[in-house]
Amino acid sequence: MSSCQTCPSSDTCYSAHNSTNDMYERTTKLGIPTIFDRWEAQQPQCGFGMQGICCQLCSHGPCRITQKADRGICGATADTIVARNLVRLTSHGAAAYSHHLEELAKTLKATAQGKTPFKIGDEKKLRDIAAVVGLDATKSTADLAIALADIILSELRKGSEEPLALLDLFAPPTRKEAWEKLGVIPGGVLSEIRDALTKTMSNIDTDPIDLLLTAVRLSIATGYMGLVGTTTLQDILLGTPSLTNSEADLGVIDPATVNIVAHGHVPLVATAVLQAIQDPELNKLARQAGAEGIKVYGSMCTGQELMQRSAGSARGFAGQLSNWLSQEYYVATGAVDLVMMDMNCSIPGLKTVADHFHTKLVSVDRILRMEGVEDHVDYEPEKVAEQARQLVKMAIDTYKKRGQNIYIPEYKAKAVAGFGVETIVRALGGSLDPLLDAVKANQIRGIAAVVGCTNNRNGQDFKGLAIMREFIKHNVLVIAAGCMSSAAEIEGLTDPAAAELCGDSLKDVCKALGIPPVLNFGSCVDIGRIGVAVTEIAGALGVDPSQLPVVASAPEYLEQKAVADGIFAVSFGLLTHIGPVPPVTGSELVTKILTDDIAQLLGGKVLVQEDPVKAAEEMIAHIDAKRSSLGI
Amino acid sequence: MKQIMVDVERCNGCLTCTLACSAAHSLTDTIVAAMAAKTPARIQVMPVKGKAVPLMCRHCEEPACVDACMAGAMQKDPVTGIVTNEGNEQACVGCWMCIMACPYGAVTQHPNGKTALKCDRCRGRETPACVESCPNNALRFVEVGEFAAEKAAKTAVSQLTGT
Repeated sequence: MSSCQTCPSSDTCYSAHNSTNDMYERTTKLGIPTIFDRWEAQQPQCGFGMQGICCQLCSHGPCRITQKADRGICGATADTIVARNLVRLTSHGAAAYSHHLEELAKTLKATAQGKTPFKIGDEKKLRDIAAVVGLDATKSTADLAIALADIILSELRKGSEEPLALLDLFAPPTRKEAWEKLGVIPGGVLSEIRDALTKTMSNIDTDPIDLLLTAVRLSIATGYMGLVGTTTLQDILLGTPSLTNSEADLGVIDPATVNIVAHGHVPLVATAVLQAIQDPELNKLARQAGAEGIKVYGSMCTGQELMQRSAGSARGFAGQLSNWLSQEYYVATGAVDLVMMDMNCSIPGLKTVADHFHTKLVSVDRILRMEGVEDHVDYEPEKVAEQARQLVKMAIDTYKKRGQNIYIPEYKAKAVAGFGVETIVRALGGSLDPLLDAVKANQIRGIAAVVGCTNNRNGQDFKGLAIMREFIKHNVLVIAAGCMSSAAEIEGLTDPAAAELCGDSLKDVCKALGIPPVLNFGSCVDIGRIGVAVTEIAGALGVDPSQLPVVASAPEYLEQKAVADGIFAVSFGLLTHIGPVPPVTGSELVTKILTDDIAQLLGGKVLVQEDPVKAAEEMIAHIDAKRSSLGI
Repeated sequence: MKQIMVDVERCNGCLTCTLACSAAHSLTDTIVAAMAAKTPARIQVMPVKGKAVPLMCRHCEEPACVDACMAGAMQKDPVTGIVTNEGNEQACVGCWMCIMACPYGAVTQHPNGKTALKCDRCRGRETPACVESCPNNALRFVEVGEFAAEKAAKTAVSQLTGT
């Protein structure tokens, strides 16, 4: 595999970021095994798993499809096994997003009842959405918020035979038509997950085509609930993001303060902690402990949520450290006192590194547990103000145990955050037209959403950054979300100064508007925000999303939420580049459907191309084809 | 004489051969028991730039390890052709000369730290366990001449057709 850049014999370092490479040198010197070492120890990795043709469901297994055996013991073909595994991955993603949404809905309700330290952050959005879902506009803000939260909770829970109301209200009509034709309009998400898990039990649904349609259904349910729903409720509760200047990379860590890292995806406890550190009494405690103050940093998507609201509900946010691959390395600075872990992407390796330092790990979500971590401050909306104070006190106590062996890499970059439909419209003077005109005039050749995780298979962020740079060089505006946002921030691509890296026409647009060529849309959940933006653009032009010069790329996807995202993007009508190669290649049928046939049904399809430059070329060719079909 | 012959292109790194090897050298001959007892494997699958490469003893006609063995423990059986440091009159003393001498890196240290460890081609088995277990036919136990003839035939075709 020529694309592999992380082998010992390779000339390329493990991360595209100097800071992480510095830290890896440090952990190596200190004899602390980290993710890059564990990666090496796992090589070579099993080709059956890579191709998705291993089935471990029943005790006849594990079965593999091999040259000697073209069927499992039950008779399942590679097609069945691959499709069934894919549905199971998608179910996991749908479930995790639903958990996030449910936490939000409960918090919105408790907030409206005056039981939390939060205030409704965007009343206008609440009223707008309430109007769309048909709530009585004369109601008070609090009553509307409660009614909306109840609607979301009932949408999550209703039967799979009752079509999702949010989809009906928010999806483009042309999309609804395509989905109806295929019979993939989903019902309540939890019911859809139950159906999918039941279908993927041994010997229930063994038809690869029906299994793929199930994955599509699940991903559409995820799109309108876990993505669009969660983004919307987060905006209503914590405020819609506004443009804000921040900083990113490990160099933002201040060795003189008590340092708390908010790590995960659900920004609720973290927002309460940012409120708590304003308390003079807690600051006094910190000073008595010998620190100059208390700071809260972001890691991964929780950090992105805070950064994009740092002019509002997340005031006081001290900067973004990195994306998920760097979690062990920020702990290894020796200057992080407490990591509060909410929902997903807290790896067990975090604990093995924390054990070498004083750092305290605390789970702040009832579903997150890690071997060796004994401190749980599980989020409860009604108690979160007190929970936040408790976390800050724990951090101050831990600070007292901080050792002398501290190293903080010098790197940090300016990052602009807070983009979304609202900020773009505001920046453009009240309408999307200037953006659309720039697209029509070919100043902006197209729009590419570069989203999703980071992945060590090709070295942290190498592919994502290479693709983003190729896009902007060829005048394609990039929208980033998730771990790819951190990648772009750290390398300065979300700084307006990055306009210099663009092709001439995009450079002019960026300079005229004072925007960076990579618009930071926030966290991975904010893929929902991208969906909303694409829907708006399609609506304004009167076309289907599949007709737009728009592509999506998840160049370093890692986990199951990203699988649901990817299938949603395809279902939404977009050409969706996915790397590394997903575990479907063991089935010719599934591979062909996803990379080819599905385009006739849904407009979108999966593009698999390991070379980032070629991947960008192929996506730009797609953009050009869409432009010429539109006659622009 | 049959040898373990490798078609490296066919190996997909599943490591089944290493498990089968451990099992064949455990008391109960089962993978689960061998994993529990931490019985070491004598075949390695090495990662090279993302590609898996199986490595095992070639049981050479003129084994460098036998020449290097000062204790006389490492011997080549004149009848079966198997090269091993186990079950012979002299015991392995752990001088590691064989490890240094082997051009293939196929001799390793036993986890006991006291003796050298290598493939014994599953003495007593008709087909070595690694070969039997390989789901991809990357490992075959065949006459060397037969393997060479097949390879020559394939190469000849590709010379002509370029495939």
